[in-house]
Amino acid sequence: MPRCLTKYQGEMEYEEQAALDFPRGLFGFETETRFLTIEQPALRPLVFLQSLSTPELCFICLPVFVVDREYCLSLRTEDLEAVGLPADRPLAIGTDVLVLAIVRIEPGRAGTANLLAPVVVNRQNSKAIQAVSLNQKHTHQAALPAPCEESEPVCS
Amino acid sequence: MLVMQRREGESILIGDNVEIRILAINGSRVKVGIEAPRSIPVLAREVHLVRAENLAAAEVSSPAAAAMVARLFRPGPPEKSRQAYVPTDKPGE
Repeated sequence: MPRCLTKYQGEMEYEEQAALDFPRGLFGFETETRFLTIEQPALRPLVFLQSLSTPELCFICLPVFVVDREYCLSLRTEDLEAVGLPADRPLAIGTDVLVLAIVRIEPGRAGTANLLAPVVVNRQNSKAIQAVSLNQKHTHQAALPAPCEESEPVCS
Repeated sequence: MLVMQRREGESILIGDNVEIRILAINGSRVKVGIEAPRSIPVLAREVHLVRAENLAAAEVSSPAAAAMVARLFRPGPPEKSRQAYVPTDKPGE
């Protein structure tokens, strides 16, 4: 099995079929075309989107439904076709496609998720794209619930 | 904000070097042609926002912060194992 270096999980093995192909890269990272989605049971529902060519590049993501229960995918036909998805019928999120929102987390700022440009993975062919939603209600900084650290149990 | 009404084929000039022409209007869609020097980046606003957001997300997200966000959705004791997420019907395998 191929191995890769990751930003958060050290070195790990992965299955070749798990590698995602982003023909256009991501916005601002147009040359990054191969990623892996990594889940850690302790950190569910987070999904790490790890670059296979740049170990220090890893996006932290959430499935869109975790951020917005009502999320409805609305993309341009050419974006859907770029990853081999049909444009003539509604897509079942989770079945046909995996849809992730990239999360932005930094100290002193409430976390936000990018619902304006979700990462859409065609589960049939492992092709993926980050595409701008046509739904004008989708924002690039959708609020996450505010953390309440006081109530967390202390683990050491 | 300055508001101007333009018809198909008409233009707007910005400074000496930028021209914006309304090429076609089809229902709610407007096709716009932009002539500007190469040194001036021209991007759809949402693409600009998303690019900046991606760069910020890649820069600042830390494992500790990620763990905090994960706890918002799924409180519970930490576990040790990890796995590559294979997009099949049985992601847990």
